Amino acid sequence: MDLFYHKPFSRRTAWLAGVLALAALPLAAGASLEALPEYLRPDPFGGLVAVDSSPGAAPPKTLRLTGARAGYLSFHLVVKAPEGDYRLGLQLADPSGRLQVDAYREWFHFTDSEKLYYPDALVPVRLPYRSSLPEPDNRIVHQTAQAFWIDLWIPPDARPGVYPFRATLESKGGPADLTLEVRVLAAVIPNEDVVTMDHNSYGTSWIAEQYPQARAQTAGDFFQSDALFRLIHAYHRIFYENRGIFHQLGYGHGGKVGPEFAPALEGSGRNKHIANWNLFDRHYSSLLDGSAFAATRRGSQPIPFVYLPINPEWPASYLWWGEPGYETEFVNVVSAMERHFREKGWTRTRFEMFFNHKKRYMGFSWDGDEVRFLKDESYFREFGRLLRKALPPDTPVRFVFRADVSWAMERQFQDLAGVVNLWVTSGGILSWYPRAPEMLRRRGDVVWYYSGPPPVTKPASTITRFPFQAWLWGVNGYVHWLTVDAGRDPWFHFGGGGTALVYPGERFGVEGPIPSVRLKIQRNAVEDLALLAALEKSRPAAELREEAAPRFNGSRLAGWWNPRPAFAARPPDEWSGTDIDEATQATDRMLARIPPEAWQHVREFILQLASEEK
Amino acid sequence: MRIAALLLIAGMPAAAADSWTVALDEAARVASVMVDGDLCQRIVTPRAWEYMFQENPRDRFLSSDNYDVDDQAFLAVKKTLIRIGRLVPFPADANLWLPVPGHPDKIHVTIRNAHELSQFWPWGALYQEMPAPMKTVLETGRRITVTAKPGWISVLSPVHNSLGDIVGLVEVAAQRTPDAHANVK
Repeated sequence: MDLFYHKPFSRRTAWLAGVLALAALPLAAGASLEALPEYLRPDPFGGLVAVDSSPGAAPPKTLRLTGARAGYLSFHLVVKAPEGDYRLGLQLADPSGRLQVDAYREWFHFTDSEKLYYPDALVPVRLPYRSSLPEPDNRIVHQTAQAFWIDLWIPPDARPGVYPFRATLESKGGPADLTLEVRVLAAVIPNEDVVTMDHNSYGTSWIAEQYPQARAQTAGDFFQSDALFRLIHAYHRIFYENRGIFHQLGYGHGGKVGPEFAPALEGSGRNKHIANWNLFDRHYSSLLDGSAFAATRRGSQPIPFVYLPINPEWPASYLWWGEPGYETEFVNVVSAMERHFREKGWTRTRFEMFFNHKKRYMGFSWDGDEVRFLKDESYFREFGRLLRKALPPDTPVRFVFRADVSWAMERQFQDLAGVVNLWVTSGGILSWYPRAPEMLRRRGDVVWYYSGPPPVTKPASTITRFPFQAWLWGVNGYVHWLTVDAGRDPWFHFGGGGTALVYPGERFGVEGPIPSVRLKIQRNAVEDLALLAALEKSRPAAELREEAAPRFNGSRLAGWWNPRPAFAARPPDEWSGTDIDEATQATDRMLARIPPEAWQHVREFILQLASEEK
Repeated sequence: MRIAALLLIAGMPAAAADSWTVALDEAARVASVMVDGDLCQRIVTPRAWEYMFQENPRDRFLSSDNYDVDDQAFLAVKKTLIRIGRLVPFPADANLWLPVPGHPDKIHVTIRNAHELSQFWPWGALYQEMPAPMKTVLETGRRITVTAKPGWISVLSPVHNSLGDIVGLVEVAAQRTPDAHANVK
């Protein structure tokens, strides 16, 4: 995929200059259409978001659209017109009818912190689109420009070649049109991602809060309704369609389990058993057999990972911890879960036993999440033993023991080898251990790292850093720790979106989430990486990484790691948070401000390689 | 909190209390007998107390990252609290609260339980201002019933050590219409 931003001094893009062309012809004074690459976000007054602009650089005069098959091409289409009604149309000259266009109106969020507008939420629209400026619901005084995010879906069986693409505008400023040429390469983006982008969330209370109409229209308990499960499945779908996955943790720090996340239990001790699977199966069946994704472009696939409700208080009561009853309750219930999953054929998903609690929340005496005090490791070993005892050795069901690690990761990688096999690591601390990803992967473990979504106030390209860093580091994935909390009023008093990559669609008549500009930019980068990883068959991965890093931000691959600090040799409970911050300063400085066109340069590199592939 | 509006002092006429309040009061009375105050005093480590009020603008998790407990003491008291919660025929939690050494106006919830029920704990707080009813319990040793939040009942009951000192209190809490999703986060 590519949105080529042609710069006269760019040798890397020059090779395509004769192939692709763009014509932007304003036909009447006062109205125009403009196409911008994804990393240059428009503002509502005809300019660009300031953080996306390189000093001294002007928006590109030529936008070149090149992409591989089984992927998306994206750009911003900006309507500039006088106040009043307008009509926007798009026509794609594709005789085969294979290419598809998705259009979204970009919502301009007003940030209280900066008193500026940033486009992010993407409201699906039908074409032709009729509205007026200022856009009535966005309520921006003196708005002169409305941006649209255009996604072009290139299916895997599309014919390679050049497709003309035309946008037309009618307004009080007269007609205007814009013609682009879309070049489709023969290369096909693999459906399997080289980097798993995970989007995390907690519980379901937030769904009830964000969908008040759905809740009000539900007879009976919303949390046991089809409406709730439809919404949950819609969240899984939007992340899947955008080359990611979705996690919902179903229990709290004290061990309280949301009923829709677990089979219902009855009894105690020897008699503890699963009473029914009603809510669990309504929640998970279509996710675990893949049918929830049947109507998506990527096709039906079971979700690859899912949290289990297992915690120190479920399925066994913590009252029995250290006594025979704890083991009996745990083993009996988890064994029954394994049987249920096996009988259902749910064998392609990794079921995660994961402990999220921290002792600072006073539910338990040990940290399940981010162990700092090494004495807490003994609980992991015991739960590992219990899990092994609960599962038949030849089970086809894929249970994994996940640990989210930071302070003590270096010790835990060794001490819990063979116990934990899904590691979700603090990116800052992992940066001290360049050999760790390969070491973990060679023994069959999965390793991700975590952080959070960049707010909209950062350059648009910032979000590409995370999948890119995962690939450079050789880890399997990345976790945005919270991705569904856009704040109390994201529409007019936006906090920046540092905990959200999707928005509730209810105010726009959408029964589910709507995407964001950041999510789309991330998706496109993940697609690019999948394509690049496919090239590892013909070029060594290390070589590709060495070549890609400088294109992103002028860095060297080695610069994405920090030296292991001397204090790392001491027990983690002797370090401090400021020690850690100081020991990650080198990469923090390197990545403090990512150039707006950072990913564009990486994409050009990937597409050039893909074009050269036989 | 306006104390006068919140308190029902145990010992009131039985007709004035419903079955939930009576059951919780009885569980709280048992808690005062069964919870070992000496063990409670060993739960929070000296390090955790030391860091609890330390702040560093460059390290916003300084206090919580240093929070630690004595495993055995915590576990023993938690098991007692779980049993106390089961004394009533509806979902209830027994939470342990300890005053913060050197800070008589502060209190620290030290053990919580699986129903995530408390009328006092603001989610995530490591310590908080001492609510007036708790101060009364710690000073007088009386059990106090609090119904400040609509639909909630908490009975606060003192915890003594082997010297006879009041070293903390137990909150036995219930919500008449339980929220199955609160604090699942």
